[in-house]
Amino acid sequence: MTFTSLSYFLFLPLVYLIFVFTQHRFRWLVLLAASYGFYATFNAPQLLIALAFVSCFSYICALQLAKAVEESRRKRTLQLGATVCLLALLSMKLLPRLPQSFATAIPHVNLMTSIAVSYFTFQAISYLADVYLETRAPERHLGYHALALAFFPKLLQGPIERAGDILPQLRRHYEFNYGAMRSGMLLFTLGLYKKVVLADRLAVYADVVYDNQRDSIGLPLVIGTYAYALQIYFDFSGYTDMARGTARMFGIELTENFKSPYLANSIADFWQRWHISFSRWILDYIFRPLQLAWRGLGQAGTALALIVTFLLCGIWHGTTWGFITWGLLHGLYLATSIYYRPHQTNLYKWLRIDRSKWLKAWQILITFNLVSFAWIFFRSQSMTSAWYAITNVWRLSESRLDVFHGTGKRGAELVLISLFLFSWAELDPTLPRILHTMFDGRLRWLYYYVCIMLILLCGVFGTGEFIYGRF
Amino acid sequence: MISDRLKRTILSELDLDEFDIRDEMLAGEVPGWDSLSHARIISAVETEYGTRFKTLELLKLRNVGDLQALVDHRTTK
Repeated sequence: MTFTSLSYFLFLPLVYLIFVFTQHRFRWLVLLAASYGFYATFNAPQLLIALAFVSCFSYICALQLAKAVEESRRKRTLQLGATVCLLALLSMKLLPRLPQSFATAIPHVNLMTSIAVSYFTFQAISYLADVYLETRAPERHLGYHALALAFFPKLLQGPIERAGDILPQLRRHYEFNYGAMRSGMLLFTLGLYKKVVLADRLAVYADVVYDNQRDSIGLPLVIGTYAYALQIYFDFSGYTDMARGTARMFGIELTENFKSPYLANSIADFWQRWHISFSRWILDYIFRPLQLAWRGLGQAGTALALIVTFLLCGIWHGTTWGFITWGLLHGLYLATSIYYRPHQTNLYKWLRIDRSKWLKAWQILITFNLVSFAWIFFRSQSMTSAWYAITNVWRLSESRLDVFHGTGKRGAELVLISLFLFSWAELDPTLPRILHTMFDGRLRWLYYYVCIMLILLCGVFGTGEFIYGRF
Repeated sequence: MISDRLKRTILSELDLDEFDIRDEMLAGEVPGWDSLSHARIISAVETEYGTRFKTLELLKLRNVGDLQALVDHRTTK
């Protein structure tokens, strides 16, 4: 079951009703049971075991950390906890790589998925690190701790929540709030629109190019690359909107995971806007410790820490050369910026263009293209394909758009109109304010109706798989 | 209270003429102090005070006030 499954639209109201009619002191149990039940629909009992194991182990480790006084013992406990969590992640990631005969040996059991494991593992490690650094006391109630990791709206793809943010909310007495319920449903609907109307329709264009790259030369490669850049954004941010919308219905505010990433004016700015909970995680638990440990190397220490961090980020996505190159590219983008950024800033000040809107537009354009260039490696099926795309994308005069025949013209118009409206909303706060005023009135029902009809008529309903559910 | 010496060291490293740095301020609230410049600023503080902080001590810092407290602890040892 995913957020786009029909069964989810039965599951969610049922869970909500049981939750509301349960006494406060047992509500955690309702949500925990619902979360495990939600996870169980993937027919992968090994993942449920991994979730339960990581929950219990991190719970015990955190209590031991808090009890230990000697620094060496605390450090060893943290290292043990983090290592065991990572081993659980690694084992679940390796299972799908076993021979097919083993994978299908147990009927009705899916050994080919590792969905959600990364997210709850990272959250558990974050929790242990926070207890070690004494920024957070350990949670003494196993049920709340388990729920913080398993909470179904954020289970499959995050956001990766900090214990300090989610635990107080889970413990808080829930009171029905009409405004929160309405905005949660609105956010969920917007996320669903982003996923099934925009992302899955953009995927049609991206897949036409990237599944058969050698059939494309010039402009189709440009269109396919930009389509993928937009597809992955709407896919992941759509999921996050649905997760946040669902959580809001239960009185929980999850971390905003995306803040107009394609309006970033630098790669550093991009990573403060893209997959925010993950980039904060790698910043706090990988980059910062490395950077501080290597500060004796000066700027080179920070540059090296960036390259290592993003190399690991690439490897987390997958152990293919494409993902590794994608990670390395971002590491190099950031590492080189340490050296040229101060000179660039001084040059803009000297030219008196540092506050120019044209400069900002130029920076946004460059950043978007640098990010899209890196996506080529992320999406291509091999390094050979990626190299083909890079070397043939410039042959614009030889472009042939007949590769896109059969992809659906009506869908393209809807996507372009939607992109225009989303871009307008990002750049000009007037539109969201107008829409917000509408949403307070009867017109919001028209908006719901239009959204739902567009979703039903123009949505692409396939497997319902989300891109970041694979990682 | 952030000492003038620490404030001068931070502002000099960030090439700022004047900025009011308070105890409860987070690093990101000081213009130019971000994750990429963080280690450079820490190194500058270490050079100024002739000390070297442990990585764990630095990871526990929550705001500029904590950095001042760490410096005070080291300089009065």
